[in-house]
Formats: sequence, structure tokens, C-alpha cells
Amino acid sequence: MKENTEADVRTDTAIKILALFFVAIIFLAFTTSPIKTGTKEGERAPPLEGMMYNGSGWTQFNMDDYMTTNWTVGDANGEWLVVEFMDTDCTFCLRDADEFGQVADFFMKISKDTDGTPAWNGPTVNFVASATELNIKGHDSSRAEIISFRDKTGDSSCAGNACSSRQGSAHNFMYVDDIDQENMQEWKIPGTPSYFIIQPDGIVAWVHSEHPQEKVSDGLFRLFDEQGLMPNE
Amino acid sequence: MNENIILLAYIIPLLVGTAFMTKAGDTLGTSLSSRYPSLVHRRRRHLLGLNIVTFVGIAISVHTLWISNKISEGGSVCSSATVFSCDDVLGNASYNVDPIFGISWGLIGMFAFGTFLFFANTVAKEPDARWAARYMKWGFYLTASGLLVIGLLISYEIQMEKICQYCTTAHVANVIAMYGFWKASKMHEAGEWKDEEPASSS
Repeated sequence: MKENTEADVRTDTAIKILALFFVAIIFLAFTTSPIKTGTKEGERAPPLEGMMYNGSGWTQFNMDDYMTTNWTVGDANGEWLVVEFMDTDCTFCLRDADEFGQVADFFMKISKDTDGTPAWNGPTVNFVASATELNIKGHDSSRAEIISFRDKTGDSSCAGNACSSRQGSAHNFMYVDDIDQENMQEWKIPGTPSYFIIQPDGIVAWVHSEHPQEKVSDGLFRLFDEQGLMPNE
Repeated sequence: MNENIILLAYIIPLLVGTAFMTKAGDTLGTSLSSRYPSLVHRRRRHLLGLNIVTFVGIAISVHTLWISNKISEGGSVCSSATVFSCDDVLGNASYNVDPIFGISWGLIGMFAFGTFLFFANTVAKEPDARWAARYMKWGFYLTASGLLVIGLLISYEIQMEKICQYCTTAHVANVIAMYGFWKASKMHEAGEWKDEEPASSS
């Protein structure tokens, strides 16, 4: 009896290769739990790097240096990170600068109680502002303007007024030069200001756009409360 | 275990597979023919080599996907301060997926080498089939088109100023497979395809 064996060879091989493929997929499924990189809550935050001004000079900043990869939920030793995307010529950023500076001082343990102890005894929270230059007429930023905005010094102009005359006191947190919008594009930021709270392991824990009614401080308090990290617990 | 040592587990069979497809395979085949008589035939040696190379390609693609997944979990697999740091390449969310569909390059590699292995394996099993010459040509064209993807991925590495050793090994496997399919086509056209013909050097 005549048989067409060619089809058998191809079918047999295809089945074997598909089986090999599925074994590989099952191996990957059982040994890894990949986390998507992105800026939604639960995703791994994209890279954030650039030259940073911390009050004394410009040095290299890499967000990874502030992360604790083996951090687990509930661990009070990990350092959290609040990221603000802002533009020194953005009026909303100028409006928020005072309150955001106070929140940063509180969670960075700079604010003290009357007895000299830090007003906040919970997990340490680092703050960083990624200062960009939006593609809007009149938004012309520079490193000098970033310094002027942060320190309230110099004669640079922020949104038509002297940066030194903005509301609130000088900031104590880091400012990253993102005038080329590299970080902003990486994080797909639609506008400024935009706020993110990053867990110590680099996972986005809170995004302001997903909680428009909640301020950064409220978000931090809620997250710490949910994870049993409030100092009085 | 050091990831560079693990990489040898891919490089060694890749070299053996390549050897079977070159002049070195003649000596190797002759010395092994007492134990594996089929290796005395050049076509069988060549297709065995091609099967080994494409299989290594699948295996290393799975490994790169595994490394990508581990890095996304926050782990460090093969991070290095030197230029050879696959963590920096495979962990870069901007470049570790294709720019159109967002599929991991490792998964694309698995599909690609799976297809190459299918061609190599079916031709090895049924070398005189009507479709054998066509499959070898398709294998060549597909592996040749893979050069464009390799060029794109190398441009990413240049931008990052880092080299992913695992990715590079997969790229080399693709190039060797391209040579393998091209050479097999030539052998078929030249009539160097029959088992009964004496083994000859290339």
C-alpha cells in the first residue's frame, strides 16, 4: 500500500518542536514572575538618571542607587522614593512648590519636633524632582534656573517672575536635570507636575494621576498604613 | 555559578555543530564513524551540525528570556561594570522588546530558531523529499533576514555601550545557521546529497 510519508515527517517534527517550545514556556512560567516596566501602579519604574543638583553641585544620579532589590512588603528599613516631574516655568509646579517642599522636609526627617527629634519616625522617604523643559512658548529652562528654583537664589525667571520669589522656602531634595526630556519621555509624562511614589524595590506604588483627589502626603500615609509601617503601630 | 561559565554550555555545542558543517567535520566524522557510522556521509554530518546549531539557538533564546524576566523581578543575573553586561542590555525596558509589538526579543528568538530547527530537522529526516530544497532556501532567506534584526540589536548595544554575551551568542548561531542552510542548498544543487557518495571535503 502506498503512503505519503513526507507529511508524517513534517507533522512529527512540528509536534516535537512545539512540545519543546511548550516545555520552555512552562519552565519560564514556573521559574520566573516577570514584572512589566511602566509607570502604572504595580509596574517596575523605568530608569531615572541624569545630572543631579543637591545644593552643593551637580553629580550623577541613578535611581537604582536608591533601590533595595530584596525589599519585601512591610520591611521598615527600605527607603521609599517620591518622584516629581516638573518644569521651572510651569505655574502649577510653582503653586505646589511650597507644600511639596514641606512634605519632603517632613518625610526626609528634616522637620523636627520641639524636642529636636524628627517629626516623622516612619520609613525614610527620599524626594527627587526631575526638572524638564516643556515644549511650550516661554518655557526656557537651564541649570541656573533649576538652582534658582530649588534654592530661591539668583536672578533667573520662572514663569515670568523671579524664581527666588516663589512661595515657600528653599528645597532640600535633589533636582535632576531633564531639560532634554529624556526621563520625561521614558516615563511617558503627559504634563507637569506629575507625582509618583516608588517602593524601595523599584515598583510604582502610587501615581497621582490614578488618585487625583489624594495628595502625595496622603498617599504615603495610606501606603504606610496599609503595610503596617506607621510609626505608632 | 558564573554566567560566563554557563555560556560555555552553549558555545561548546555551537562550535561542535559548526565543526560538523566545515572541513573540520570531515576529520571529526571519520574519527566518530566507527561509533556513529552515519557520520561518514557529508550530508548527514552537515545536517547534524545544522540541527545542533539551531537547537542551541532555541536554548539560548529561552535563557535570554529567563534573564529578562529575572531582571524585571528586580534580580541581578549577569550584571558587570565592564562592557560585557547582559543585565544592562536585557534589563533595559526601552530595548528588550521589539519596537512594533512589544514582544521580548528572547521569545522572538525562540520562534525564529524553532522555525530553523523545523527546516533543518525535516530535511535531515527526509533529505530526498520534494520540499527539501525549498525548505533549505527558506531557511537561508529567513536567517539572512535575521541579519537586519541583529543589526538593529547591535545598534542598541552601541547606544548603551554594553554588550550582552548571551544575545551575541544567539546572533552568532543565526549567522552560522545561515551559512548551514546556504551550504546545504549548494550541496543539494551540486549533487553531493546521496548517502552512498563518498564523503568529500568542502
